[in-house]
Amino acid sequence: MSVIEVENITKTFTTEKGKLLVLDKVSFSIGNEFVCLVGSSGCGKSTLLRIIAGLEKADSGKVLFHGQSIDQPSPKIAMVFQLFGLLPWKTAIENIELPLEVQGVDKENRIRDAQEYLEMVGLKGFENAYPHDLSGGMRQRVGIARALALKPEVLLMDEPFSTLDELTAKTLRALVLEIWLDPDLPTNTFIMVSHNVEEAVFISDRVIVLSTRPGKVVGEVKIDIPRPRAQYLRDPVYFKFVDEVLELLEKAKEKT
Amino acid sequence: MNNFAQYPEIKLLPLYTFSTVTRIIITLLISIAWGVSFGIIAATNKTASLILTPLIDLLQSIPILGYFPMVISFLFALGPLGIEFSVIVLLFTSMAWAIFFGVLGAVRSIPSNVIESARSFGLTGWRYIRHVVLPAIMPATISGANLAWCDGWFFMIAAEYIQYRGSVVAPPSGGLGYLLALTSYQYEDMNLSIVLLLFITFIVVYFNTLTWHRLMDRISTGVFRPISVRSTLRVELSGVGKLGLMTQANRSHSRRLQWPRPFVIASKSLRRYTRIEKVIVIVLAFSFVLAILFLQAHNLPTLGMILERLNEPPAGELGSLPVLITLTMGRLTIAYGISLIVAIGLGVLAAEHKKMAAVIYPLYDIGQGVPILALFPVIFLGLSQLLGQPRAALELTSIIMLVLDMIWYMFLNIVSAIKNIPSEIREVGQIFGFKGLNRIRHIVIPSILPAIVTGSMLSWGTGWNTVIFAEYMPSTNPAVPPLSVPGIGSLLDKAGYEFGNTIILIFILGIIAAIVLAMEGFVWRPLLRKFEKYHVEV
Repeated sequence: MSVIEVENITKTFTTEKGKLLVLDKVSFSIGNEFVCLVGSSGCGKSTLLRIIAGLEKADSGKVLFHGQSIDQPSPKIAMVFQLFGLLPWKTAIENIELPLEVQGVDKENRIRDAQEYLEMVGLKGFENAYPHDLSGGMRQRVGIARALALKPEVLLMDEPFSTLDELTAKTLRALVLEIWLDPDLPTNTFIMVSHNVEEAVFISDRVIVLSTRPGKVVGEVKIDIPRPRAQYLRDPVYFKFVDEVLELLEKAKEKT
Repeated sequence: MNNFAQYPEIKLLPLYTFSTVTRIIITLLISIAWGVSFGIIAATNKTASLILTPLIDLLQSIPILGYFPMVISFLFALGPLGIEFSVIVLLFTSMAWAIFFGVLGAVRSIPSNVIESARSFGLTGWRYIRHVVLPAIMPATISGANLAWCDGWFFMIAAEYIQYRGSVVAPPSGGLGYLLALTSYQYEDMNLSIVLLLFITFIVVYFNTLTWHRLMDRISTGVFRPISVRSTLRVELSGVGKLGLMTQANRSHSRRLQWPRPFVIASKSLRRYTRIEKVIVIVLAFSFVLAILFLQAHNLPTLGMILERLNEPPAGELGSLPVLITLTMGRLTIAYGISLIVAIGLGVLAAEHKKMAAVIYPLYDIGQGVPILALFPVIFLGLSQLLGQPRAALELTSIIMLVLDMIWYMFLNIVSAIKNIPSEIREVGQIFGFKGLNRIRHIVIPSILPAIVTGSMLSWGTGWNTVIFAEYMPSTNPAVPPLSVPGIGSLLDKAGYEFGNTIILIFILGIIAAIVLAMEGFVWRPLLRKFEKYHVEV
């Protein structure tokens, strides 16, 4: 059963040099799974994610969430940002609390929830630290906790690890997978934008490959390596999938 | 309208226009030459920086009136040429600083990787200046020059209408500022004043759109983009031009408020002066100081003279200084409050509603072309005719003047901050459902708080400068005493214009400087430091 359905999304940007087609009739559907959108920079994958989030409007086509068209952000679909998107003037816990406040959660519950999710991402004791005083990895943990605290069904992630060093990124990937596999959490659909092929193969059930400008779906690769996958990182089967995705990317490049 | 012909000066309008424009252009060229060379020296040489930066910082905070004593000493010495010369000197004292600080900041913020790569390719000396420093300071020089240009028009009316012990010294070739002062102070002709004001505004706006906008566009979109990612606080403060809001706001993308720590690295690796060069500079500086001391030796006051002058008028009013300071502070506070509320309101409106922005931004662009100081006599004349109460009119005029002056800095800073709210922060607001007041409270206001503090600092700075003119209405008719509202600004004017009491003038200037510094040290800097962490690192 599909949770998110992307139907014929087309999007142009108006620039000084005229109109720029960034997404051209993109369609796919996503169920309770972990999907990565992969493509080289400028292929419109972040734009696509923003359209799914309801942050941007497509020129034509639509995005359906359980059959309902999305035209504005909803608390059921949360987002994790590349540059974390934390409000610098709020402490870690306040950053998590604020969206809950907007949703009308009362103070007591909000603090309890925020605390719980902060602990879940391993930041107990950093409640009152400002983003300013946290490392990049810790900031992204707050970003993830903030998104999850809303108990969304869908979690969108826009290159969430691309500004982190590899070691930190690795730890956070494990954290995200852990959250995804947690049966107690209502968040079961993860869509992540990435330009790191190995990351995509490691983390997702399915990799959707987009071509460069205009972005089109050139193909998808179903990754059926059993989880946990850490043990397969040196396995030929893992590299087979990586090669498959890379091949699609190469093909996409030739077309344009 | 046809009775304008009764004034003999009106026929000279073309000449007056020409001489004012020429005067400002000449001063601008001198300012650029001075600002660029001294800016580079101060940025690349530690010793020079130690002396120059604080000295020039001090000089720039002295209001134009503070330079009167110095100017007057040679005003009458050189005859008509001396008067022309002193007008240029006065203009220079209000134009040059922005360029210097812009250049200083730009050189200091050349990224260390650029400096290091230039050095590794063996670029030193003049070639280093030509290929690295000059291109890097281009944008700052242009925007500094533009700021200087606007400042020149702003202070023109004060510079071209020099008063000394009750009499007016007019530049022989006249000038628009002189003409405007004449019509409103002496002829008290409201219609002609407004016509002149519109004429001056037209010239300023004309030059702005003709030259500066194009130059700035070319600079910001052209070959060389400003490479400064980090810049010192000073740059932020003095780099805020009063022109081309859109360009400014776009450009300030790369300018974030930062404390001047990074420059240590930059200046370390920058070109070092050889020992011989150092000796030359020191010898030059010494001989310069000695020459001034020698020339001024017979003029230097002794302690006895200083004490004596301190007892001459307007010494009687010194006793009520606390009251005068409170009154002036009160005016500034009222004007600041109004500016703050209006600027935040307009800024938020412009940010939240695209249609409003389409109205507000062009208004701003034209509004900042009006030389505010030139408005002073016109507003006063209008209000006193309306109220029939000259003193009340002056009181009101001074507050209006202060608001008009202070609001631009607030508005410019707020709008550029609003435009620079990172898209992720906006998106966070959207995705988590902030709307209306929630959005303004949690997203918009906190993001612009640092800009509000910077804007406040600038507003108060320029406000102190303007209050000196705003509290005092000169009179050229010996039978009519000049009109003033009580305050420390008008006391300064009396000491300067009416009594020519240099010692008291300097004394009052010192007090004003102390107040400004105290506010900066105890209010604005701590606030800035507090809000520093509000900056989103992108």
